[in-house]
Amino acid sequence: MMKLLIHNEFQKIIHRKRTYIGFILIGILIPFIVGAIDSGGNMLEKSIYGQLSDSFFFVGSLINGYLATYIIIAVLITHMPFLSTIVAADIVSGEYSKGTFRLYLSRPISRSKVLFSKLIIVYGYTILLMGFFISYALLISLIWLGTGELAVFHMGLLFLSEDQALIRFFIAFITSTVVMLTVSSLCFLISTISKNSVTPIIITISTVFVGTAISLIPIEFFEMVNPYLFTGYINSYLSAFHDPIPFDNILKLIIVCLSWTIFFIGIAFNHFNKKDITD
Amino acid sequence: MSNKDSIKLQNIQKRFGKTKALDDVSFSIPENSIFGLLGPNGSGKSTLMRILSGLIIEWKGEIFFEEKNIISNHKYFLRHCGFLIENPTFYEYLTAHQNLSLLAKITKCSLDSIEKVLVDVDLIDVSHKKVGDFSYGMKQRLGIAQAILHNPDILFLDEPNNGLDPLGIEEMNKTILGLHEKGKTICVSTHIINDVEELCSDIAILKEGKLIHNSSMENLLDKSQDIVIKGKEIHLMKKYLTGSNACKIISSETEKLVIKTDLDIHSVGRLLPKNTTVRSIAKQPNLVDLFK
Repeated sequence: MMKLLIHNEFQKIIHRKRTYIGFILIGILIPFIVGAIDSGGNMLEKSIYGQLSDSFFFVGSLINGYLATYIIIAVLITHMPFLSTIVAADIVSGEYSKGTFRLYLSRPISRSKVLFSKLIIVYGYTILLMGFFISYALLISLIWLGTGELAVFHMGLLFLSEDQALIRFFIAFITSTVVMLTVSSLCFLISTISKNSVTPIIITISTVFVGTAISLIPIEFFEMVNPYLFTGYINSYLSAFHDPIPFDNILKLIIVCLSWTIFFIGIAFNHFNKKDITD
Repeated sequence: MSNKDSIKLQNIQKRFGKTKALDDVSFSIPENSIFGLLGPNGSGKSTLMRILSGLIIEWKGEIFFEEKNIISNHKYFLRHCGFLIENPTFYEYLTAHQNLSLLAKITKCSLDSIEKVLVDVDLIDVSHKKVGDFSYGMKQRLGIAQAILHNPDILFLDEPNNGLDPLGIEEMNKTILGLHEKGKTICVSTHIINDVEELCSDIAILKEGKLIHNSSMENLLDKSQDIVIKGKEIHLMKKYLTGSNACKIISSETEKLVIKTDLDIHSVGRLLPKNTTVRSIAKQPNLVDLFK
């Protein structure tokens, strides 16, 4: 039955235009950014070298596909919650507002299974979107700007070999996807409570916005609570490019995000199973 | 029609906040009947349908199907029931066939049954058209199709004629009668008295969440010919009316007498002796009176 329900949910989302918005936006934006990096390469290099050029003599160019991908992730990662919540926001609330649950839930099926099938689709979409974001950025950047060593700032200028760069991008994908799954879980929870599809996006994005602001304000109380908030890890993909890779921090990120995810999903299931469908 | 009850509802109560949507409602739906659930808007008809369909989770009371409480056998009950709750809603971005296919899979019925029900409701030619392009009448017929997709024994149709033009209503009523002829028990909720008179064999009337009448239509129509006399010296009235041979006594209480007669109210009044006190003479309420 679970397979059938997941297949049904899959059928529903592949026929909806909004499912493709995130992919289309990423598909259009990334070539623009890569093109901009290509044309403004000299300026970018100067800002990367900074005062180092006074002490060192650089041969060749730092601008390549890996650096471009690194910059693209840095630029777009804070906007990914918008895109990753598109499907989650509507997947339950959309059925309330359109009244389609009257068709679906008056059949001999378990509500928990229906909700679980929707959750699987939300997670599948989030993982696919994040995977597409990073792999597409890599693909376009490497085709346009070629390969080379990845230069990143971490306690000075750090050069990562091509093989290392790919591994680091994979770790960045894992860490950023874990955070996005938690963001999607929050949106999914609001979707089970709200009767329209806009409220879940607004609440989720507001939460991410406030959480991110907290992580940036140097107040003792905020610094104390920030490690326990999933919003404090939105930019944690950066740690994948540190040397050595701080696996203990990544593990902490996974534990915090997983705890919030379980909390959000637990409330969502509890609420949905008790909810009277009156629309 | 059999005398066996298909579904028995006992003391159903539902509150939405401080509002009592259903207040101790009890009645039975006879097997193979077309049962009319009549009541004005807000009387609790849809709430009752939603309780039966499992859309409303928290309620009080008991519902029995095949003499088993449905709370512990809800999936079994739902397998035997088809629902069309309020206006028909579908995934508008999918075709009629795709919509039914989603539902067919979860009720484990064959894909052949989709074609069959689409033929039954005369939508086979537009089965690959998106539901968003359907007229209201077509959606309503698709609503019937989804309800009968798994060939249930009992159908619950909530206001099936709502929003339909007279031709659509006629077609819908024909469909309902056709399904009844195939042996299905049908419960139709409506606020249109004509629908009930045309279709139903049994009836329950709800008003402000309370059951105000429950009987067979035959009984109701029969009773609506009765005349109720209220007053004193009932025994004297009874004697005179029996003696007139124009009336048959149905029941008599201390201050109330119910008679069956072909005479009108005024003629009955003239038959009563002068030395009795008559407070009122009125016909038993008919369907319209009850609905008011």
